[in-house]
Amino acid sequence: MTATVFDWSIIWQYRGELVGGMATALEVAAVGLLISIVVGLALAVGRMSRRPVSSLAALWINVFRGVPALVSVLWVYFGWSLLLGINLSVFEAGVVALVLLYGAFLAEIFRSALEAIPRGQREAGMAVGLHRARVFVHVVLPQAIKIAIPNVGSMFIGMVKTTSVFSVIGLLEVIHVTENIEATTFQPFVLYTAAAAIYVAIAFLLDFAFRLFERSLSKPATGGIAGWVMARKRQRIALIAARGTAVTGAASVSGQGSAV
Amino acid sequence: MTIPREFGRRNVGGTDEARDHAHEDATWRRGDVGVVAGAAPREMMSAAPAPTLISEHSPGNSGPASVATPVDEGQSALPEGEHVVVELQGIRKSFGSVEVLHGVDVTVHAGEHVVIFGPSGSGKSTLLRTINLLEQPDEGSLRVLGVEYGPAPCPKAERGNPLELRRRVGMVFQQFNLFPHLSALENVTLALRRVKRLSRSAADERAAEALESVGLLRWAAHYPSQLSGGQQQRVAIARAVSLDPKVMLFDEPTSALDPELVGEVLGVMRKLAESGMTMVIVTHELNFAREIGDMNVFMEDGEIVEFGPRGFFDECTNARAREFIGSVL
Repeated sequence: MTATVFDWSIIWQYRGELVGGMATALEVAAVGLLISIVVGLALAVGRMSRRPVSSLAALWINVFRGVPALVSVLWVYFGWSLLLGINLSVFEAGVVALVLLYGAFLAEIFRSALEAIPRGQREAGMAVGLHRARVFVHVVLPQAIKIAIPNVGSMFIGMVKTTSVFSVIGLLEVIHVTENIEATTFQPFVLYTAAAAIYVAIAFLLDFAFRLFERSLSKPATGGIAGWVMARKRQRIALIAARGTAVTGAASVSGQGSAV
Repeated sequence: MTIPREFGRRNVGGTDEARDHAHEDATWRRGDVGVVAGAAPREMMSAAPAPTLISEHSPGNSGPASVATPVDEGQSALPEGEHVVVELQGIRKSFGSVEVLHGVDVTVHAGEHVVIFGPSGSGKSTLLRTINLLEQPDEGSLRVLGVEYGPAPCPKAERGNPLELRRRVGMVFQQFNLFPHLSALENVTLALRRVKRLSRSAADERAAEALESVGLLRWAAHYPSQLSGGQQQRVAIARAVSLDPKVMLFDEPTSALDPELVGEVLGVMRKLAESGMTMVIVTHELNFAREIGDMNVFMEDGEIVEFGPRGFFDECTNARAREFIGSVL
């Protein structure tokens, strides 16, 4: 009896289902992330604006940071259906629940990133005659995104993990798939270990991806992807720079400025 | 060409005749320019050069136009009778309950180089920043190129748009404030493309010209973090100059620099001054100020205490100004 307690082969046997669950979890989380970024940015800007708007944004943020994921998804999936007659698919309900929760968290991340940009940057943008909106888009936002990226990455990992709760509404993500397999194989330890491994693998993968992205945003950009994406622009500017006259006396001071 | 220069001040218990001409803000109207101390009537200014405070040391605005900055047309483009570029009257500004400007008057003419100096906390920077409305004055009149922007009583419809104002006024900051996520070239092209609406190639061309004029075209692809302080400040000057401003504001442009880097920035500013650019400079570099200042203004405690033309640093009689000059020079 002891010999057959852990049957690890069932992981391979059900690999299709497990990978499917992983894909679903990633899909819900990714769509949720994209929408959350928009919502979070709007909330962050709202939070930083004038009184009635900022209070409303703060209220949203504080409410949804306090709501547990389980409550949120049940509320959206069943509550909206009962109260508003909005019948969402399990996928949509999962996305909406994630946006409600993580939009609030991302709002705080974006707010602190936006506030980290020195006032002089906005002033310099205004001083060259840029409209406030353009100062935000071209000057403040790109710098804030760079600051926010690592935290957004952590949030994304959190979102993927949060999808495990959505098994209650029947979303076929990793945990729900695991439960289904377990019902027929009676191998909870093996299967939940596999599920845990999947989440950990995703976390490593996402961490790597976000690091790459962050590096590509540093100036000068490092990393192959950034070099590849920016190649044309770099070449254009290098061509212009090459027309410059040779080093003029004081210009040679820096020394740190390496060749392009 | 010699331009009459005038400077006013108020609320200062001095011997200067400026006191007698203290302005009545309430009655001040649009188009009513000649109320400043010693001002020549407006018509005279464009016609014959009125007796000026600095007639012996004419700064030579008609001098060598050799400098290849893309700003030379600035003056001649001014309509007749618009030689006053910036006119501040009775500017008051408070931060909270502390008033930092107690009603300041400044007039800057085309081609003039105005130097503002004084101890820290005297309101120099705040004054400079009101000129492009980075600080909103609480009271007083701000006219730039004949358009009213200030809070002075003036019909809303006639008040200029701050965006328009900033498109005509260039600014250089103490901390450079280059955009760290953009290369030197892109720092210059951003506004050329988004404000001047130039095509990419036209903006590149213009930016290259501007960077070349500060000797940094070779560094066009470098990011601010790869440049020395002096180079960053020169890029910042190029960024402002490329937009073809009618007046340039310098807010302690060399204060954040290592001593050995100050010279290169002053060199660029000198070149700009020689090209005829109208400049307002807040600085502690009094040797430089003495050299290029057509009008020198000493500020303390939110007021203009004393002012004078070329030679001011050697000839001024105000005790407080003398003391300050002595402590710095």
